[in-house]
Amino acid sequence: MENFEPVIVAFCCHYCAYTAADMAGSQRLAYPANVKIIRVPCSSKVDALHLVKAFEKGADGVYVAGCLEGDCHFKNGNMRAARLVESVQKYLEEIGIERERLEMVMMSAGMGYRFAQVATEMTEKIRKLGPSSIHVALVGRESTLQPAGII
Amino acid sequence: MQNKQQQQSDKVLVIGGGMGGIRTALDLAEAEKKVILVDKAYAIGGLMTQLDRTFPTNNCDLCTLSPGLSEGSRQEYIELLTMTSVKDVKGKKGNFTVSLETAPRYINLDKCTACGECHKKFPECVRFTPGLDHRAPTCMRYPQATPQAFSIDLAKCTDVEALMKSCPAGAINPDDMGRKREVTCGSIVFSPGGALFDPSYLDYLGYAAQADVVTSLEYERILSASGPTMGQLVRPSNGKKPKRVAWIQCIGSRGLQKGAGKHCSSACCMFALKEAIVTKERFQDDIETTIFYMDMRTMGKDYELYYLRAKNEFGVRFVRSRPHSILRENGAENLTLTYSSEESGANQTEEFDMVVLSTGFRVADDVKELAGKLGLELNAGSFPKTDAFNPVATSVPGIYVAGVIQAPKDIPETMVQASAAACMAGNDLGVVEKVEHEKELLPLETGVVGEEPRVGVFICDCGENIGAVVDAAALAEFAKTLPHVALAELKGHGCSRESMQQIQQAIKDEKLNRVVIGGCSPRTHEVKFQEVIRKAGLNKYLVEIANIRDQATWVHANNPAKATEKAKDLVRMAVGSVVRSQPLADHSLPMNKNVLVVGGGVTGMTTALQLADQGLKVYLAEKSAQLGGVAVKIRKTLEKGDVQAFVKDLVARTEAHANIQVIPRALIVDHSGMPGMFKTGMQTGKQMFYRQIEHGVTILATGAKPNRPAQYLLGESAAVSTQLDLQNFLEEQPEAVKSWDNVVMIQCVGSRTADNPNCSRICCQTAVKNALRIRELNPDARIFVLYRDMRTYGFQEEYYQKARELGVIFTRYSLDNPPRVEATGDMVDVTFTDLILGRTLTVSADHLCLSTGMVADEDSNNELAMIFKLPRTADGYFLEDHVKLRPVDLQVPGFFVAGTAHAPKLISESVAQALAVASRARTMLAKDSINLGARAARVDKNSCAACLICVRSCPFAIPFINADGYSEIDPAKCHGCGMCASACPAKAIQLMQFEDDRILAKLEELFERNFA
Repeated sequence: MENFEPVIVAFCCHYCAYTAADMAGSQRLAYPANVKIIRVPCSSKVDALHLVKAFEKGADGVYVAGCLEGDCHFKNGNMRAARLVESVQKYLEEIGIERERLEMVMMSAGMGYRFAQVATEMTEKIRKLGPSSIHVALVGRESTLQPAGII
Repeated sequence: MQNKQQQQSDKVLVIGGGMGGIRTALDLAEAEKKVILVDKAYAIGGLMTQLDRTFPTNNCDLCTLSPGLSEGSRQEYIELLTMTSVKDVKGKKGNFTVSLETAPRYINLDKCTACGECHKKFPECVRFTPGLDHRAPTCMRYPQATPQAFSIDLAKCTDVEALMKSCPAGAINPDDMGRKREVTCGSIVFSPGGALFDPSYLDYLGYAAQADVVTSLEYERILSASGPTMGQLVRPSNGKKPKRVAWIQCIGSRGLQKGAGKHCSSACCMFALKEAIVTKERFQDDIETTIFYMDMRTMGKDYELYYLRAKNEFGVRFVRSRPHSILRENGAENLTLTYSSEESGANQTEEFDMVVLSTGFRVADDVKELAGKLGLELNAGSFPKTDAFNPVATSVPGIYVAGVIQAPKDIPETMVQASAAACMAGNDLGVVEKVEHEKELLPLETGVVGEEPRVGVFICDCGENIGAVVDAAALAEFAKTLPHVALAELKGHGCSRESMQQIQQAIKDEKLNRVVIGGCSPRTHEVKFQEVIRKAGLNKYLVEIANIRDQATWVHANNPAKATEKAKDLVRMAVGSVVRSQPLADHSLPMNKNVLVVGGGVTGMTTALQLADQGLKVYLAEKSAQLGGVAVKIRKTLEKGDVQAFVKDLVARTEAHANIQVIPRALIVDHSGMPGMFKTGMQTGKQMFYRQIEHGVTILATGAKPNRPAQYLLGESAAVSTQLDLQNFLEEQPEAVKSWDNVVMIQCVGSRTADNPNCSRICCQTAVKNALRIRELNPDARIFVLYRDMRTYGFQEEYYQKARELGVIFTRYSLDNPPRVEATGDMVDVTFTDLILGRTLTVSADHLCLSTGMVADEDSNNELAMIFKLPRTADGYFLEDHVKLRPVDLQVPGFFVAGTAHAPKLISESVAQALAVASRARTMLAKDSINLGARAARVDKNSCAACLICVRSCPFAIPFINADGYSEIDPAKCHGCGMCASACPAKAIQLMQFEDDRILAKLEELFERNFA
């Protein structure tokens, strides 16, 4: 698993985290390309199903990014998302996936630098953890093919 | 009265179609007022169209603004006359008669498709002006030009018949005689922009003789993807890449050279920083960039941070010096710059490959002549005179100025004044009965339900923004291989009018029923592309944008291979999602036209009065017991305007206005609703009674606080004060001032430091103002101003020069060696190092005055940001939606910010913003209904078990169990967060536009590549 390139999904709320990601762009703040963003109106729109599905498909890391505490445009969506992430972390552990692979992060729309920083830290963390067990199993199953995720 | 109103014209004439003129025209049109926009050029856009990118976002802002002009809905209010000049103006406010003359274009605008055939065959006959080499790859002024058409220079054409035949559309008309006409208008906005100083005759700069000495605008053209070198940075002399580039500031500004304006041109420091940063970004350590400057004037919002990044992150070198000459030794390849630096004092020389002259603004001769025809009073620099309390009004009632013509300025301030001018000019129009305009006929929506998806993918290269990092053509080829993709094409700028038409044509020709755009952010362009596909007969929700610019090429420029892989992933995810999209209908509600203004200072009152005068009901909530804000403590402006009288008048008019309800001692406590139907709760009065206000828009004019950091004995010694205290003292105890021998002022106290990195903008001119006043009272006093950079921008420079002439001593100090102070009885000893003398001096000061500037009101801003859900900058000011183009619009629709709640600024600048927000608010309140979009939760009644989980999870208590026993959600009330959808255990609720199958499809597609 040398040169392991993790695939990380970031569910970003439209108002804060997604805007922060755009801000990182306009400020040209580089972060690893491993992070792929899926835009949601509010972090609370992210469902346990989406999180688990991402891991089932082979994600090595997933994070939900919402507004700062108290800043949610829908009152408390970010706090609900944080609680959901916590419960899914427990579930992941039960099925043999490290809980660290899933995270909740919060940032405001103006925090382009924080978006880049979170993306970098998350990628580094997952790189150290190595591929998820599902990722490994998927690669094993498809062993005749060389998946692009692992070079 | 009735009669008079009928005589008033219902149109505004906007002279000059640069960024400012366009903004004015759009604001008026959105407020449903008629506009005639004239520009003497053959395409609008002004100076801005020649820029490669703009600070501080370093992207091309034209892409954001220009599509706005092509919107059909606005065209019914805007008559655009290019190649047209104003010959004469008669009449007065309410009823001007203006003679216009349109030069022949020799091209029929209705027929020209801008195919470029004429230019290909007869390049000499087609007009093009911007830039260095007069032949750019395209002779349109810029790729998104409006109008999208060429212009012929018939004098240069030898074979007119062959030229006519070259046009496949038959659009060339050699008999075009141009046109003269008279128009009437109620008011005029004069925004012709500035010309740039021409350094040709200053031989010591070598501009005329040396090809490698260019102006900052020419350098911009060299960097521009649509410029003469297609964005390749090369030396004009030999086509090689330069290794060392120098910028020289203040060319043609600050009265430095023969023929230079006395003013500071305000924008050049940022301009040079941007050019140096962009150069560094492209070539990193392969290139050295040096800026020679006198004072770095980065006084705008967050501009200081940009300066610090240039210095610390990009390694741009800064030399405080005015170079003496630029020469090229005989036979030498490089330019030799001679200068003396502050440290050594002796002359030294250094070689550079290219030298960029930061040329400043001036008023063009033809503009000066036109100003004369308009009857405007001009200042010494030929800029129309304006008043600090009414910054866009000229000496002629009914004629307003905006942009550089008012005073040199950058784009955000131009945008503010443009909206301010729209507000004032709109007030002068006759009252027009609102007629129901015929809605533009949209084609019927094509049915797509049950049809096999046929996706069209359009990939933008966005100039260099995308194309320089990923192979956009290859990306389009890749898209062709994806399932359901019927067509994939490369578009230069998908947002240009030409591309939008091509996309619409492709939808019809290829029977596309879904569209994916690979380009910039859906945050800025989703609405635009929704409109594009709707006009082509598709439901507007059948488009998805893959954000391959902001979230791929811009952030992974250092790794093109990975950026390409990611861009492919994003396009694949978008295609997977869009094939599952379904047509949706928008929901709408009636608009509440009341306005809530928070903050009763100069800004809040000015805005309230403007809106109230237009018949809108305004609630003005002020947290203290009185109106007036910080301005109550200010005596005079730099220009000696009487602030007290101005504020008194504002307060009296505000309190007397029938449409304004002032709510003193108001504490905002809650807020709900959506743009056009907000509800804000507040506790008011001594008893703190709760009341709720319903309103359509919210304007934040909450101001900032004068800073009082406990430094330099402030608060400890009676001889130490702030500038704010001092200016009161000068008026109250002028006699005491007469006994002062020495006065010291220290600039940047509590600003431009580690804990408050930004510049407070106002303090340099305040110091000059107070120093001049002390001089008046006591001509013998020695006044020392210890500064880091004197930031007397615009016409303030003249007051700074005057203070120097009058003997005020300005001495620079550096941040790592600040002045030291010690109290000695009633006096203060101030010790500082004079960098030019190289000696440490101690002055025994009768008075020490600290320029402490402003800080955001952390307590109230923090509270309000939480309640209203508004983002703020790192230093606590409200963060606007777009720092350049939408400086007073906040990110949440329906919210606007003005005055010092936005950033530190002068009274005149606060008034301009106050007028601007009034204009911006009117664009919204002109509409009678609010479009709520289609993002609402929908319940599948067959799957609903009436478990009440949605009822409990909704933060707004919208879902309820109806008489039929299932959950019902009113789409007009739903806020569209999707909390109920994610909570529903039966998955009976779907959030439209963000349905589960679309989110899951994105995951499927993402991992398809990785594990298939």
